[in-house]
Amino acid sequence: MMKPENLDRILGSEEELSPSSGFVACVMERVRQEAAAPAPLPFPWKRALPGMIVVGVGLVWCLVQLVRMGIAEAKTPVLITMHPATLMTPHIESAGAVAAALGVSLLSWLLARRVVGRRGLV
Amino acid sequence: MKNTASYESAGSGANADLADVDRVLAGDVNAFEGIVRRWQGPLVNMAWRYCRDRGRAEEMAQEALVRAWRGLKQWRREGSFSTWLFALAANVFRSELKRFPVVDVSIEDAPEPAARAAQEVELSLRQSEDAVRRAVLALPVRYREPVVLFYFHEMDVGAAARTMGMPEGTVKARLARARALLKKRFPHLEDQQAAKELAEKEA
Repeated sequence: MMKPENLDRILGSEEELSPSSGFVACVMERVRQEAAAPAPLPFPWKRALPGMIVVGVGLVWCLVQLVRMGIAEAKTPVLITMHPATLMTPHIESAGAVAAALGVSLLSWLLARRVVGRRGLV
Repeated sequence: MKNTASYESAGSGANADLADVDRVLAGDVNAFEGIVRRWQGPLVNMAWRYCRDRGRAEEMAQEALVRAWRGLKQWRREGSFSTWLFALAANVFRSELKRFPVVDVSIEDAPEPAARAAQEVELSLRQSEDAVRRAVLALPVRYREPVVLFYFHEMDVGAAARTMGMPEGTVKARLARARALLKKRFPHLEDQQAAKELAEKEA
């Protein structure tokens, strides 16, 4: 069996490798390129914050409305005879929710474009 | 053989590093060249031990130095610059080798050279030793890195542990396991060493 000191001798006796002559120049070229590159743009929190607050409030409002609708539906007694107007109500409510969601999406898209410096809907 | 462990305590080198880091952080990009010149050798050699491919070792060392330049602000100066640099380089080498592994054979499949005639003992021994060094790359990752860094740091467990960010006890345990795996894989290496010594005596 191989002795531990023999293994140490083998693994510890590596010959030294010299870097190639252009190594320093290559590294410095990359470093200078990176130093010369413009700094990445910071995220414009000041401009984005009002929009984010509006979107957040809108989402909370939508959630509250949905919860209220759910509670109201649970409390409504089951009607034996369905009037046509009653049958239409859930469809109208769903359409309202879809319209609200679309409105919020459009608003966030417009805000995002405004934040990056472009006009909305162009 | 190089003396990487001595870099950790080299006073003048450490002072030069500090001065260069201060200049770089003050906006003097060219000051980084001093750091590159001082550390190119150790980093290329360290990378070589991770991959045993000269071209790739230089690429990995280059990447480590560029990352060091980017992250110079993050060096907290609690430990030595060399410890920070070696830890960063080890991370870079580890992730590079995860992306493109060097070997995909297990330690059991690492080849062991056959015994040679007496006149070829010297050559055979060299081949065997090279096979042992290459077999390190076939060790499971958790055992490979402690071996690479322990011998890179001239058998200093503390330095290897600092570079890996691990407790010394863990490094010692993994080293012992790695040694056991290598000894099991190369049981005849001792015989070849004895044959070489006998041949030298007879000559």
